[in-house]
Amino acid sequence: MSTADPLLRLDGVRKHFPVRAGTLLSREQGRVYAVDGVDLEVHNGETLGLVGETGCGKSTLARCIARLYDLTAGTVWFDGRDITGLSRREMRPVRRDVQLVFQDPFGSLNPRRRVGSIIADPFAVHQLGTRADRKRRVQELMERVGLNPEHYNRFPAEFSGGQRQRIGVARALALRPKLLICDEPVSALDVSIQAQIINLLVDLQHDFGLTYIFISHDLSVVRHVSDRIAVMYLGRIVESAPTRDLFESTRHPYTRGLLSALQVPDPDAADSRERIILAGDLPSPTDPPSGCRFHTRCPKARADCVRTDPPLTGSPGRHQTACLFPLEIGEDLSLASPQVHDTVIGGAG
Amino acid sequence: MTAGTVARQHTAPAHRRAIEGRSPWALGWMRLRRDRVAMFCLGVIVLIVLVAVFAPLTAHLTGHPPNEQYRSTGLTPDGLPRGPSRAFLFGTDDLGRDILVRIAYGARISLLVGVAATALTVVVGVVVGLAAGYLGGAVDTVLTRLIDVVLSVPFLLVAIALVSVTGPSMTVTVLVIGFFSWASMARIVRGQVLSLREREFVEAARSLGAGDARIMFVDVLPNVLAPVIVYTTLLIPVVIVVQATLSFLGLGLAPPTADWGGMLSESQAYYTTAWWFIVFPGAALLVTTLAFNLFGDGVRDAFDPRRDR
Repeated sequence: MSTADPLLRLDGVRKHFPVRAGTLLSREQGRVYAVDGVDLEVHNGETLGLVGETGCGKSTLARCIARLYDLTAGTVWFDGRDITGLSRREMRPVRRDVQLVFQDPFGSLNPRRRVGSIIADPFAVHQLGTRADRKRRVQELMERVGLNPEHYNRFPAEFSGGQRQRIGVARALALRPKLLICDEPVSALDVSIQAQIINLLVDLQHDFGLTYIFISHDLSVVRHVSDRIAVMYLGRIVESAPTRDLFESTRHPYTRGLLSALQVPDPDAADSRERIILAGDLPSPTDPPSGCRFHTRCPKARADCVRTDPPLTGSPGRHQTACLFPLEIGEDLSLASPQVHDTVIGGAG
Repeated sequence: MTAGTVARQHTAPAHRRAIEGRSPWALGWMRLRRDRVAMFCLGVIVLIVLVAVFAPLTAHLTGHPPNEQYRSTGLTPDGLPRGPSRAFLFGTDDLGRDILVRIAYGARISLLVGVAATALTVVVGVVVGLAAGYLGGAVDTVLTRLIDVVLSVPFLLVAIALVSVTGPSMTVTVLVIGFFSWASMARIVRGQVLSLREREFVEAARSLGAGDARIMFVDVLPNVLAPVIVYTTLLIPVVIVVQATLSFLGLGLAPPTADWGGMLSESQAYYTTAWWFIVFPGAALLVTTLAFNLFGDGVRDAFDPRRDR
């Protein structure tokens, strides 16, 4: 456990998107609670995996950390400094330290600009180096991420998906950031290419001493790269633990559900393992369930779960869980069945 | 092709030649060059430009300055225009002036107004459209309403009123046309920018710390340029016709300046007796607008973003 201050700390981060109606005089009709109270710490040099289903707020959280969105509430501390309220001008030096790798290697590169100019963008924006300097550094970066440096005059359309993601990585690395937020960097790629990009990211972390937040909906990818994993559900962190802990002593029923959906290479093990099917869909983030947000799908839900919103307990950096009835080691969740309705009706009557 | 194999290719000289990437513009130009109609029209446009540039040469060769009135040789004894002859290839007008030379000089006005008013339209329209689409919010609301207002103002009424106050001049013509056409350009650009600003590469630029101006002009603008170019080539002939219309109504340029709309206007009284007086200026206008229009169609086909993939 690191005693040093974390590189990044989130305190009660919330991001709500208003849903408006009417064109001329718009009224707020409701809110999407995309991120709704996230506490998180990321330490220097570690990789934090962030997993959850599509629509749980992972990408929104990433954009909140990079201050692409203004927070609704909460605080972002980066390198010991509160960056929540910084203006765009004040953010500029911070942006050199926090960079993003985007999910879509097609959408994140400007189709009308040459690759060399795209990778040189960070230098241009921060007015660093001369033309010749920039070109040399761009070519070094291209070489480093496994691209042919002679291709700097080409357009993004002339590269494959994996190569484009390398371009995105090169651009993010240009300013030697401290924190690299990878927002589903491989989910748009073929499986064989995924491994190449992940290995590249791991190599770069060693070489440049980077800290990663690695976002994915694919637990097997996250498990491979992460020191610690945080599981998100409907805008909240429900469980966070060192990778081994999370897999070996899972406490949150939702995490167990995600893990049981993992592909297991060994067919015998696959047959014998416990299977928990998460019933139903992710509830709408415009109208999150009361109490524990997972109670509508939780096999272990009790009446208390409907009423009480469980806080994230445990010390940061160790195993933290937000569940009123966390799983015991070895507990078989497939035998559990929710018991909320009787009690609720009884309680209500 | 995987990334790994390409990375290793730098030693293979066979791949050297293709390293300079073909820009979307180069690809569009290649498609355009294969379009025979468009290339023929481009040839016609170049010819018209040459005629306009070398208009004094026609005056020199014929020996007829554009505003010189040949009352004895250029008019019949009754004072009517003379038809095409060796001396006057396209005939003469009601004042005995050489129509061929005046058409050549008129081309200068048409092209100059066409280009200047279109340039004004493009600059204002693109800047307003970019600002409205990218900045959004209150800026967008105000600019969009402004566009609606401009599009609902009756063009000719304002043009007539304005010219009667300021007097006819080329500057006023250009300003009037520019004022009334930027709005539709702005609308087109705004629509494109609205979808572009949600793209991840804009977010990527913002995460690098780029300011709004840089994102608008470096990241967004190149992506709206294709529709802008298409609309521009189709706008030039419209502007040329509008300029001729204004001149025809007496709102264009002060006589005796030669311009096509004005010549058509002067020919009205003589169309039963002097066909050449109306046919040649009319044909000049028709050929010019047709060439620009067909070329514009070709440009649209070549640069259509849907064909870019």
